[in-house]
Amino acid sequence: MFLESNLYGMEHEATQLEKQHVHSVYENTAAYFSDLQTKAWPRVRNFLLEQKPGSLVVDIGCGTGKYLSVNSQVYNLGCDYCEGLVEIARKKGDEVLVCDNLNLPFRDQCFNAVISIGVIHHFSTKQRRIKAIKEMARILIPGGQIMIYVWAMEQKNRRFEKQDVFVPWNKALCSRHFSESNQSGDKAGFVHTAKGQDIHPAKLVISECSYQNNLQPETDSKHPRSMDHCLPRACCMKISEEENRFYSALGRSFRSWFFSRSLDESALRKQSDKMKHLKHEGVWANSAVPIQHSRHCSLDLGHHGALLNEQSLDDDDDVFVESLSLKKPQWSPATDAPKDLSLNGGHQNVAQSKGDKSSFINGPVEDRDCICGCNKDGAGKSDASKFFKRTSTTDSTDSALDSAVSVGDQTDAMLDPKAFMRYYHVFREGELSSLVEENVPELQILSSCYDHGNWCIIAERRGT
Amino acid sequence: MKLLTHNLLSSHVPGLRPGGGFPLRIEAAEVRERPVPFNAAFVSRLVPRLRWDALREAAESLGRPSELPPEPTPGYEADEEFLRRLHHVLLEVEVLEGSLQCPDSGRRFPISRGVPNLLLTEDEA
Repeated sequence: MFLESNLYGMEHEATQLEKQHVHSVYENTAAYFSDLQTKAWPRVRNFLLEQKPGSLVVDIGCGTGKYLSVNSQVYNLGCDYCEGLVEIARKKGDEVLVCDNLNLPFRDQCFNAVISIGVIHHFSTKQRRIKAIKEMARILIPGGQIMIYVWAMEQKNRRFEKQDVFVPWNKALCSRHFSESNQSGDKAGFVHTAKGQDIHPAKLVISECSYQNNLQPETDSKHPRSMDHCLPRACCMKISEEENRFYSALGRSFRSWFFSRSLDESALRKQSDKMKHLKHEGVWANSAVPIQHSRHCSLDLGHHGALLNEQSLDDDDDVFVESLSLKKPQWSPATDAPKDLSLNGGHQNVAQSKGDKSSFINGPVEDRDCICGCNKDGAGKSDASKFFKRTSTTDSTDSALDSAVSVGDQTDAMLDPKAFMRYYHVFREGELSSLVEENVPELQILSSCYDHGNWCIIAERRGT
Repeated sequence: MKLLTHNLLSSHVPGLRPGGGFPLRIEAAEVRERPVPFNAAFVSRLVPRLRWDALREAAESLGRPSELPPEPTPGYEADEEFLRRLHHVLLEVEVLEGSLQCPDSGRRFPISRGVPNLLLTEDEA
């Protein structure tokens, strides 16, 4: 009885968390997507291009419809929870609808292929992630295939300490400025504009997208580029290696991390514990919070588990950088309730810093032991992990935080009042495959790999 | 919303009897027709995926008398006239404004600017 009510409570919490830190963020930031474009990832493109002509293909979580124009020989349908993003896709002429991944409004077994690119990592519990996958399996015809991409916990030479993270997005950083000034994709213009502005370095965005464009040459420059869920949009332009270094140098001076608690862990605690204000529990005691801002490493490592020993990349390519020596900030503990996690400069709470020591692993991620206190999804965990908040920037763009905040006690000023925090559950190596193998028997995994900081699987619907 | 899309849609209001959510009844306030390049092979391959009766019903509900036979005729793959008519119904007719009604529950889902919104409320889900 207790467990049931606890699970019910968790479901409600999960929806609230997602409402606040997924749906409303995308809805509020959708307007910024329209004038910026990101490239479609080659592996996803290839998957789509391999579908036979006349196939019915659906992109669940299509955003602005980036993948809906890749293969004109198939019928492309897109759907997303976010109306704002869907509108943008519609204006491009895509066939789209608004719906919920957890409750797909399609009849059983009608699609030849499904893609889910950077979507299910937004679900805040394991059960919801499973349900999302099961729904997508349901609508696949036997023999039909699904490709799923989720953010990886393991980034080049580093790994996140926690799997449940918030990624900030600062609206101010996604200024039309950046996009307007770079309409023509003129790199020089971009740099000039940025430098010419009296822009506080903290306000510059180090984006994954631009970085990605830089490191991964566009395989097909004629390919229509469309939007992604990557923010801010300003970043999604080609910039030179030089510019990248410039921005990443700036970026290093203001990096921050926020971790969310895992809702799955919460379910194992007493109901009453969940409501206790953490301040009194000293749960922060063990949690170090280096202020770090990381860029997503857009390396396509090309093969499974090839995260290690990427000596060819220079320091700029590191997603994580050792935190600078900072004055110990005055953090206040985060409260438990999801509603307090919403960002609003003022009451954003972060964990008590233990010191300046970086809690990120330096060096290759060969050491799979959880030396940084990673949590396993669903298991009861240490208190420290729970109410910890740091941002991870495994994806796209991250807002740069005001460098002034990283030192001292200006936690209020730490985040732009207009910042939005997106929730992500980043996946460990093998987690996505296990999730499918253990919970979605109707799917058979055909392949898995690591791509651009994501874990990717392709699976086929069993049956005849 | 094209009629091909409509043919794939089903209501997922909880508590319906199996299959009770399909097909959604179209109440169209604004419909438009737009030419789409014809590709015989493409249309032909769609046929096995379709719920034929629902398609005919949908076309008729839009005030377009169905030019489709009661069933796809054998040899349809080579029947260009058939394929062109099917192409027209599936891809060239779009509902821009209106709603989709769940046959079992009566619940209506809006279509605006060509985009159906099939979200359930938190209570419903």
